[in-house]
Amino acid sequence: MIETIHTINILLPIFYFLTFLIYLYDFQTDDKLTKSKRFFLSLTLVVHLVYILLRTIEFDHPPITNVFEVFTLLAFSVSFSYLILELVTNIRGTGLFIIILSFAFQIVSSLFIKDLFQVREELRSNLLGIHVFSALIGYAGITISAVYGFLYLLLYDSLKQNKFGLLFDRLPNLEILEKLCFYSAVIGFILLTIAITIGIIWLPQTNINFSYTDPKLLGTFLIWIIYGIGILRKFYGKLRGRKLVIVSIIGFLLTISSTILSNFLAKSFHSFY
Amino acid sequence: MNIIGISINHRTASVELRESLNLNSDELKNLISTLKQNILKEGLIISTCNRTEILGITYSDSISFDNLISTLINFKKVNGISSDLFEKYRSLQVVEHLFRLITGIDSMLVGDNQIFKQVKDSFQLADEHNFIGFYFKKIMDFCLRIGKRAITETSISEGAVTISFAAVQLIEKIFANLSKKSALIIGTGETGEIAAKHLREKGVARLALTNRTFDKAEKLAKELNTAVFPFDNFKEHLHKFDIIISATGSQNVILTKDDIEKAMTKRNYEPIVIADIAVPRDIDISCRDIENVFYNDIDSLKIIVEQNLQKRRNEIPKVEKIIEEELNNFSEWLNSLQVSPIIKSLREKFESIRAEEVANNINKFAAEDREKLEIVTKKIINKLLHYPTVELKKYANDENAQDLNRIRLSVVKEIFGLNSIKDEEKN
Repeated sequence: MIETIHTINILLPIFYFLTFLIYLYDFQTDDKLTKSKRFFLSLTLVVHLVYILLRTIEFDHPPITNVFEVFTLLAFSVSFSYLILELVTNIRGTGLFIIILSFAFQIVSSLFIKDLFQVREELRSNLLGIHVFSALIGYAGITISAVYGFLYLLLYDSLKQNKFGLLFDRLPNLEILEKLCFYSAVIGFILLTIAITIGIIWLPQTNINFSYTDPKLLGTFLIWIIYGIGILRKFYGKLRGRKLVIVSIIGFLLTISSTILSNFLAKSFHSFY
Repeated sequence: MNIIGISINHRTASVELRESLNLNSDELKNLISTLKQNILKEGLIISTCNRTEILGITYSDSISFDNLISTLINFKKVNGISSDLFEKYRSLQVVEHLFRLITGIDSMLVGDNQIFKQVKDSFQLADEHNFIGFYFKKIMDFCLRIGKRAITETSISEGAVTISFAAVQLIEKIFANLSKKSALIIGTGETGEIAAKHLREKGVARLALTNRTFDKAEKLAKELNTAVFPFDNFKEHLHKFDIIISATGSQNVILTKDDIEKAMTKRNYEPIVIADIAVPRDIDISCRDIENVFYNDIDSLKIIVEQNLQKRRNEIPKVEKIIEEELNNFSEWLNSLQVSPIIKSLREKFESIRAEEVANNINKFAAEDREKLEIVTKKIINKLLHYPTVELKKYANDENAQDLNRIRLSVVKEIFGLNSIKDEEKN
């Protein structure tokens, strides 16, 4: 089984890259490849799901114990969430900007992931599973929100400068991009709230090193507060358009920074290896 | 069968000349009657702002293009139009021309989607006046199918190709739902009127007009059921609108950056789209620096139009492929008409022999076997005729051996005694 896991680990970035290329081709040409691009994305996700299951069975823990295991889950969550979004809204022209992120997460994961048979006992808890699952979907929401925010800025600038190229042709209109950015952020925020709540209840009981001044916890709180304020201000009509999407992008950049800092630079109870 | 066609169009004649030969619906009916008398057995007249065309099957081979041209010119009683201003088509060229026409690739604005309806209406009018016969009925079916295929299988009709539509396309790139937006049209000349009508068609929630001559704005407002603001104070209402289209004949700027800035402050910087389609411009171009103001003048809208036209031009090979495919299908159908009387006659002959022999010998079979006898003998006939039928159809479609095929068909008629077909053909 180890051999299969290693093979899929190499194949996954290739699969994501090929899916990205199909989406790129669809974006650049007038030939609509709706069926084939969705088929290829679905196939990639199925292979990825098999990989996650095989790892879980073989190493006797879900792949959540370090940043590289989390990155592979994040790659899956982002693309999976996007596929659902594409099927529900039938939007065209934004997939490649999201799949490239999954590719980036996956290639980092594939390069550095290790075969960990020994993990700390608390990492086998079911409550932890819910905590991680909600956090990951939350991060996927935040990531997708940032991508739509970025696309909003690109289209906004194109329109302001009267550039009517591919972005003008292919992207949905500004209002739709703003909505996609906002609703993805709301979903991300709700799930992040669940993850934080479970974390605060569960972590002090299981982790002797738990501290409310932990850098990861503080970083996550900061992100949560930024998104919370942004959503409230949007709700009351105080924040919209360009400013709204900039808040989303800042939130995403902070999320990534927080994850990297807490895992590599600072000593956090979220570093499990 | 002598099928011919003439066309005076945007490629061959000026708008004045085209206008002089344009036919209204009454004239179309009368001209159809004239043509039916002794020139065309069946046919079609198409008359739009860009073309007037007569296409049909003549009563005799001696009827030429000049007959059609002179009939049209005499009917319209115009002078100074030479035969050189007409494009002329013969036989399958007529069909190919109609195929190209209905797909829009022959139009002045490539992919013009109005032409499909115009050609369809022309066929309908001809049909109502019994001008559509056996052949043109088939041509009509092919045309309608090809027109639909071009729209669904290619992007030949996609994208805005007029300034007013380009403005609407731009607006739709900013706002998702026009039914929740309000628009102000400044200037109710021809351009402003077209823009107002486009926005109305797109379902904009609230439309208002303003014009230096209030009466003119009021008249259009009644027609479109919109509000009207006096020109003197329309600036006070600017903040209420998400879309502003300006198309006046003013020589000076009507709206300054400061006017737009004030409106934006009042509307809490909600996005606003400004399409300034006037020449010279009505609105200070520097307003595009204000956040959430999307300003476009006629030059930027022309870029959209030109890009869309180029995209449509890029689709022409795809449409031509459809036309080629359907033209082959049409030729096959036409050729099959030559052999189908022979096939029909051959089958009738074999069937009559079979029926006669079965009738003569039916008593030699038990009652319970008689039905089987019918089935078996019919099967034998079908099997015997299957190969000759296939071969005859092949002859029909082998355009490289027309003379040989004529001989082959005549041999088939001769050896099977199918001479009655000659009489049918004569009729």
